[in-house]
Amino acid sequence: MKITVEFGGGAELLFDNKKHYDVELPENTEWTLGRLLFWLKDNLLKERPELFLQDNSVRPGILVLINDTDWELMDTVKYEIQPNDSILFISTLHGG
Amino acid sequence: MCSLDDNFENKEVKHFPKVEKINLRDLKCNKCRENIPVVLLRHKDAYCKECFLAGATHKFKALLGKTKLIRPHDRVLISYEVGHPSTALLHFLRSGLDLNTPKQLRFEPVIVFLEDQWHLTVEERIEIVEKVKKEISWFKFQVNLVSFADSVCNNNIVISQMNLELHENNKENINSILKKHINRTNKKEVLNILRRNILISIAKKLNCRYIITPELSVDIATNLLTNICLGKGSQVPDDTGFCDHRDKDVKILRPLRTFDMKEVAFYNIFNNLTPVTVRQPDVHQYSSIQTLVNHFITDLQDNYPATVTTIVKTGDKLASGDHIVRDKCKLCQGIILEKTDELNSEESTKFSRLLSNELIDHALSREDRYLKIKYKFDSCTDRNQRYCFSCSKISEFILLNDTN
Repeated sequence: MKITVEFGGGAELLFDNKKHYDVELPENTEWTLGRLLFWLKDNLLKERPELFLQDNSVRPGILVLINDTDWELMDTVKYEIQPNDSILFISTLHGG
Repeated sequence: MCSLDDNFENKEVKHFPKVEKINLRDLKCNKCRENIPVVLLRHKDAYCKECFLAGATHKFKALLGKTKLIRPHDRVLISYEVGHPSTALLHFLRSGLDLNTPKQLRFEPVIVFLEDQWHLTVEERIEIVEKVKKEISWFKFQVNLVSFADSVCNNNIVISQMNLELHENNKENINSILKKHINRTNKKEVLNILRRNILISIAKKLNCRYIITPELSVDIATNLLTNICLGKGSQVPDDTGFCDHRDKDVKILRPLRTFDMKEVAFYNIFNNLTPVTVRQPDVHQYSSIQTLVNHFITDLQDNYPATVTTIVKTGDKLASGDHIVRDKCKLCQGIILEKTDELNSEESTKFSRLLSNELIDHALSREDRYLKIKYKFDSCTDRNQRYCFSCSKISEFILLNDTN
């Protein structure tokens, strides 16, 4: 399943300073956003996981948008990822 | 045992009402009741993009307009700091100035970037200054650059519109004006006060009567509780209110004080704005009172979304009493009260401290003991106090000539 994952607001600093990733997820299972978070941590995250994850969700201060909509309107970690979804992580912790 | 209500535990439902789960399907925008919402604020209010952006702009202008402080053609210094709030602020200003309706903003913003990112390498800092210059000019504003370290150490403010000279030793220079054993809390406090003072000096140099700073509600709440922890309760209205009146010529305004980070971040996302980002220093949450308070508030806010607004609104009700102001603090311009017979909290603290350090002299009668300690207290209090209570604690760490 192909999706795009984007980082902004400083979250990209944790992911090799790259803002845009085209990701191909293995299709043998159902993908919730919560599962994706751990996949990102294991596969793309380069440093300091504690700045990205906390417990089973993102760290407070990181905003998530699924197809340009606030993930709080999409059931957050329980959201079931669909093919071609675009998921954006914006950090509010860097600067300000 | 200590609870007034013995059945407290049974009343959990009353005291901790369950948050109603919102039905995410068929949800409509709270405002227009038509469009599909794209953002959820305060965990409960859903808005579509158009209503959210209109609401944010309205909130910004309403707070500026309601106070009627800034007059048309006034020059207003905008303190730019790296991050979402400043970027949103610049966008609010640019779109307000470019309007052709009666709601147009009519003052003249002067943007200043006071550089103080010493936790980074010089190369990183140069890169950030370049990015900041690019961002500010993208909004069609003229940039003014000032080095915080040089301003403090040379006691002279140099404003440049082109380039900023950054040095590897800026951090050491700043440390050299402070005594070595100063703790992080006091150091932060000193730097905050110096930063405010430098902004005011820049405003005077550039003929601005107002300064706008990009503090959000969470910053206000943190400042408020920090002030109380540091014995600066009397300064809460100035330090956290909409307007800081301490300087008689230059007022500091905080028009973003009712916004939260999510609002400004989404405002930027929906306007396709990408703020400059900075690698943040590793700060331990227990390293200073400021970081501890900040951690406490953000943690609480996560579970109880009304935390920050409750603190801010409670703070808004605080005002200093009808005391006679004798002088202003030399460091922070906070008020120093005229002495009266009644002890205020500052004097009570000092009195207790004195009393606790004395040995009881049993040879004297009770009354004599009281008179003796009273005499000692009256004679040791500083009649020519130049610092407010809080600054008298931190001023001893500052080695600068002009403040000591």
